[in-house]
Amino acid sequence: MKWKTLLASGCLLYGMAAAAQAVTAEQVKTFTLPNGMKFLVLENTTIPNANMYTFWKVGSRNEVPGITGLSHFFEHMMFNGSKKYGPKQFDRTMEANGGSNNAYTNSDVTVYQDWFPATSLPVIFDLESDRIANLAIDPKMVESERGVVLSERSTGLENSNFRALLQQVQAAAFSAHPYSWPVIGHESDIKAWTQADLRRYFDVYYAPNNAVAVIVGDVKADAVQRLAEQYFAGIPKRELPPAVRTVEPEQKGERRVFVQKESASSANLVVAFKSPATNSADYYALDVLQSILTGGKTSRLYKALVDTRLATDVGAFSGRNFDPGLVSFYSVAARDVPAAKLEQAMLAELDKVAREGVTADELQKVKNQKLLNFYRAQETINGKAAQLGEYEVFFGDYKKLFDAPDAYRKLSAADIQAAAAKYFKKSQRTVGVLASRED
Amino acid sequence: MKRFFAIAVAALANMGSPAFAGDFRLPAFETGKLSNGITVYLMERHDVPLIAVRAVLKAGAVSDRQQAGLANLTGDGLLLGSAKFDKKTVDQTFDFLGARISSVTGTEQSGLVADFARDDAPRLLPIFADILQHPVFDAEEFNKLRARTIDELRQAKESPRNVVQTYYRSMLFGSGAYANPVSGTMSSVAALQRSDLQAFHRAYYRPDNAALIVVGDFKPAAMRQQLESLFGQWRAGGEMPKPAANGKVQADKARVWLVNKSDAVETTFLFGGAGIARNDPDYVPLQVLNTILGGRFTSWLNDELRVNSGLTYGARSEFSTLSQTGTFAVSSFTATPKTEAALALAASTYQRLWDKGIDAATLESAKAYVKGQYPPRFETSQQLAGLLADMYVNQVGREQIDNFTRDVDSLTPERARQLVDKHFPRDKLQMVLIGKADAIRGIAGKYGDMTELDITASGFAPASPK
Repeated sequence: MKWKTLLASGCLLYGMAAAAQAVTAEQVKTFTLPNGMKFLVLENTTIPNANMYTFWKVGSRNEVPGITGLSHFFEHMMFNGSKKYGPKQFDRTMEANGGSNNAYTNSDVTVYQDWFPATSLPVIFDLESDRIANLAIDPKMVESERGVVLSERSTGLENSNFRALLQQVQAAAFSAHPYSWPVIGHESDIKAWTQADLRRYFDVYYAPNNAVAVIVGDVKADAVQRLAEQYFAGIPKRELPPAVRTVEPEQKGERRVFVQKESASSANLVVAFKSPATNSADYYALDVLQSILTGGKTSRLYKALVDTRLATDVGAFSGRNFDPGLVSFYSVAARDVPAAKLEQAMLAELDKVAREGVTADELQKVKNQKLLNFYRAQETINGKAAQLGEYEVFFGDYKKLFDAPDAYRKLSAADIQAAAAKYFKKSQRTVGVLASRED
Repeated sequence: MKRFFAIAVAALANMGSPAFAGDFRLPAFETGKLSNGITVYLMERHDVPLIAVRAVLKAGAVSDRQQAGLANLTGDGLLLGSAKFDKKTVDQTFDFLGARISSVTGTEQSGLVADFARDDAPRLLPIFADILQHPVFDAEEFNKLRARTIDELRQAKESPRNVVQTYYRSMLFGSGAYANPVSGTMSSVAALQRSDLQAFHRAYYRPDNAALIVVGDFKPAAMRQQLESLFGQWRAGGEMPKPAANGKVQADKARVWLVNKSDAVETTFLFGGAGIARNDPDYVPLQVLNTILGGRFTSWLNDELRVNSGLTYGARSEFSTLSQTGTFAVSSFTATPKTEAALALAASTYQRLWDKGIDAATLESAKAYVKGQYPPRFETSQQLAGLLADMYVNQVGREQIDNFTRDVDSLTPERARQLVDKHFPRDKLQMVLIGKADAIRGIAGKYGDMTELDITASGFAPASPK
């Protein structure tokens, strides 16, 4: 079980590539309450359950030094008591009604997820509206929650070399923008933030007009709207949070970091390039490029690194970002393969795709994969809720989810090469190595 | 499709008519046999144009004998191709069509899992069938696979969370087959040869030891015909190895295994003892009771160790079931200096099962929770195929799923007390700790006879078993 999980950034990118669609834009009903809180509803009767995903446009990019990690900590505090439902009552009430929940925070958003029997929707709305309208920030709960988050931070570093390395890569890649610090925050900040910091965070960011709620499952859209008006309409609208001011200055050359971890049995490597915001015109080309490089056993990096026994694993990672971020490629070295040798092989493949482009077969393969992944996501009510919410928040309109097939279909091999040439530049990359000893 | 007959056709599909939360039933499916005796399960679902296919064999790590990791490497070896479809063809065909194929090996089952677009079945099923029945374990690819598997075993030990359960199983079952680590050990895998995989395949991959499961968007008549043509000629060679007893949990006294990880910043721990088999009649009510102890956010363990004291990010408990028996464990992790407090609190919270017992309100809440969270467990075709595979391997009848609501609802506080006494191990607990041994040795020793191990050593047992 993962409870209130921290995601370093972003979720899987479910794309799609052809005309056949399981869900259409017309099936999604939307309404916005007078206080600006927006709802998306999709009826689905496959199982007698429903979910509610609430996306808040606040994440670690809204923090400043001294309160790093506060967005994520705040996510935890949202479960620790409000006016009607005091400490522990949110979870106890939800579970007694057959529901469960989780939440995640990344650099850009905080998302609360409830999963419940559809008949429990009124209780869920009562719980959610109470904490949004009347959160109590109990100082006693703040103290025990600090311990929880410190444990979450250290267990991540203990169990994941990749997490330890990526944190340092991000710190090097961004010199000014808040994407430079880890979502979970610096240990010193976790231990030091104050009651006033928390209060201010709630007041500034948890305005109903800064949220989008998605409900998918065995519900009726008109009934959801009636309940939403009953429970959420009374929460007053507030000024929208201030924009993030800092723009990351242009990177003027390659950056490198090394992380020492005694228990690493082989080197871990990350190569991260600066990438555009998610709503960029280059989004789909970069998405396809990542799949061509790391998706499956016929991908380029798998063939060049794993098939040749230089590495045991390869992958790509990119979050969804309001501001320009990173696209990262990683690999785990096979035993006794020096990091430098692995790096050379990886960079050679990245350079090659920028120089020589991709084949028509590779492009078609990835388009086919996107289509099937789309169907796989549509198999669950949670996959649907995540897709709709992410498109609404990061692309500005859930309807753009339904334009995605065309966007993938239109891509040519030349588009992919152009994206590789534009973003895979030495001056725009940060290379990170984690190993047991620095050589 | 001759001699393919439907034994069971379930009453209610979950499509179309929404059921009440407490009313979940398995979607309709049919079972039968091909002409050569292989068992087939077919479950139609038409929500999305995908098909999930699973071939499952009753053979897993318990069949490894002295060669830990053999079943697992044999399963992975299937993906290296057959004479008709070499590895490159398998990889390219599946990847190009957006399809997925992988091997799945567990303690008591092996097999292949695939999912693909409905219209690609005629192209992909023949490959699936051929590599299952006629793998060649190409020598060069085998060497690469073996080397990578050894590296991955070494890398797994970088993360205590990845390996703590494997140590625990090894501790509980000792020399029994249930102690075998599914992926093997660095040294046992290094010793495996191609010929070992061929012999294992010959012995266990056979129609009288296998089931085929197809869930998704297909037409049953055509699918039966296709399965018969692809799998109906498969023949068993010789006698099947006799099923053996796989061992019992050894818990005659309290014991501790302290696994040193010299750069650890936290202690990962787990304690418990014997549990239940997958087909135990008490399986469903015990899910409810475990929910109260450590199976949800407001469970006693998580409430005490996380919410009240901030000692950890999470604490839980779980019954892990096998076909002949099972294990039970409480588990959590905490910063090294907090090890003593977290262990003491976990131990005293566990004893609440007997000291205080389960009250009626908490029991009702857990019943609602377990019922409400049940349907999403069987939402996708892959999930349903996995469930059918588990039922086949563990001799679980569909009544366990169909009677789920009834079995949950009928649980009373009095019955709960009886089940706690019968199934939760109260004393002589077995404990595994992974952490910085120098810092926690004194604390660990209080919980039983201690044996020290080092995480970097090959395997999951002390070098010389006591």
